[in-house]
Amino acid sequence: MEYLQHLYDLMAVFYEAEFMRRAALALFLLSIAASGTGVLVVSRRMAFFPDAAGHTIFGGLALGLILGLPIDITVLCFGVLIGILIIYVMRHSTLASDTVIGLIFSGGVAFGLALVSRYPEAQNKITAYFLGDIMTVNDDEMKLLIILAIVSILFFVFLYNRLMLSCVAPANYLKGALTEYLFGGFLAFVVVIAVQVVGVLLVTALLIAPAAAGRLLAPSGRWMFWIALLVSVVSGQVGLSIAYQPVVNTTPGATVVFISIVIFALCALGKKAWTALRKKEAIVNESPG
Amino acid sequence: MEEGKTGMEPLGPKAGAGLADGGGFPCHDPGEHKGGTGAGPGAPPFAEIRDLGVSYGRYDILKGVSAVIPERRQTVIIGPNGAGKSTLVLALLGEVPHTGSITFRKPKPVIGYVPQRLDFDRHLPLSVAEFMALGRGFWPLWLRIPKKVNDRNREYLEMVRAGNLLPRPLGSLSGGETQRVFLARALMGNPDMLILDEPATGVDVYGEKLLCEILDTFKRDFTIVMVSHDLATAKAHGDWIICLNRTVVAQGAPDAIFRTDVLSRAFGLHLGPLFERESQGAAAPGAA
Repeated sequence: MEYLQHLYDLMAVFYEAEFMRRAALALFLLSIAASGTGVLVVSRRMAFFPDAAGHTIFGGLALGLILGLPIDITVLCFGVLIGILIIYVMRHSTLASDTVIGLIFSGGVAFGLALVSRYPEAQNKITAYFLGDIMTVNDDEMKLLIILAIVSILFFVFLYNRLMLSCVAPANYLKGALTEYLFGGFLAFVVVIAVQVVGVLLVTALLIAPAAAGRLLAPSGRWMFWIALLVSVVSGQVGLSIAYQPVVNTTPGATVVFISIVIFALCALGKKAWTALRKKEAIVNESPG
Repeated sequence: MEEGKTGMEPLGPKAGAGLADGGGFPCHDPGEHKGGTGAGPGAPPFAEIRDLGVSYGRYDILKGVSAVIPERRQTVIIGPNGAGKSTLVLALLGEVPHTGSITFRKPKPVIGYVPQRLDFDRHLPLSVAEFMALGRGFWPLWLRIPKKVNDRNREYLEMVRAGNLLPRPLGSLSGGETQRVFLARALMGNPDMLILDEPATGVDVYGEKLLCEILDTFKRDFTIVMVSHDLATAKAHGDWIICLNRTVVAQGAPDAIFRTDVLSRAFGLHLGPLFERESQGAAAPGAA
């Protein structure tokens, strides 16, 4: 536990209250995982995937309750399994992938909500999954976030290139389905943990908004990754700070996502203005006299 | 499914001899293209396809395909739309399950492939340098590309006269430029065989000519297989033509293939007479 305390102390530079330090650290760790993953999701046009994988959390919850298993672990394993299942169906079905994802997504929600309605004690959990809760991160959850960050970095080191390559190159460049299945499982892992922070309604935006900003501004693949990471970290920390200003006092998860979308919008506007300006300059330079 | 890739015996000159007399590789009616195999490919076969069939569900895309691909020559597969040209390429790449066999001269040959459709997401921020370096060696995309890797990539791009494209975003390239970059990437694997699927698609006349010139310079270094429905290109650049329409209608040297009877059998209707007029008007191909 000592290393966790050290990490919290490190965050003391920014925040005084312990719960804020925890929240800040949790958001920072999540940003590392979510930004790079978001870049892959945006590049591979899988924006529906996080939504679907996120909703499986209700199925996992139901399963955990029925079988009497520890909820957090069940939710995580169930999510990863469904992530892999989505990839399998996408590869083997002749249906379009959005149809497949739509079906699995609704199936998971229906199964989960139907069963969970039998357990009144699960209502709190359901609300938490819908809206997310960053302020009550306990030490176990923090450890899970650290594991998530480490797994993400390993994933980005070893598999990032292959997954990017398959966005531009034909299918036969991506030999073997293993990479895709690993990605499906990994993505679901990231999503299920992110859902507990920002809620299932906003998890897609948490992944996608920073990556979209990166895509707008970056001249190359390398910069897309770093810009996404920067936007993700900044919106996380800024969102948290704003949410806890006494005047503002909003839900941190939603505030973080809102800030990241504001940053994206500013990037889009800025780029448009910049392009227009360049065009104008070019016309002025070309005109005689 | 991929007998050709695992259990194969080395091919001797015997197969080539079989080809020369036309007996080894019967098409449906050997008599229909007697002249077709008369010339011979002038090289031992690199790949030998025997009685290959591919079906999707109940539909036979390819049936009873037997052909040879001569080594270090440019083979052009021609045929009308829906003839199964791209499917044959996928079978050669080992990407579709098939019946029959494909035997390569070398066990586990390296095959470079330039796809037909280059319609990737053009707004994806990815530079040509990054694209060339992806999947080659250990280097995550989000770190700076090592100078050594970049220099090597530039060399390959220069081979296809595209060295200046290295810093450009991949999405900003024209059809011809994109194709040359994909070709450079295919060359990087040091392939034994290079397959280009419809390289003329989405490329202007200049780009196509340039590509053909580049391919001509490699002709004796690799076995090249090109899929085309452009007969003029096939005639000008091919050393060996496989005429495909769900099965092999004819195969042989260009002079022997570009004749009325053979072409009208493959393409039907008009094209046969067209070539006949041409051959009567200009220097008659295959007449010498």
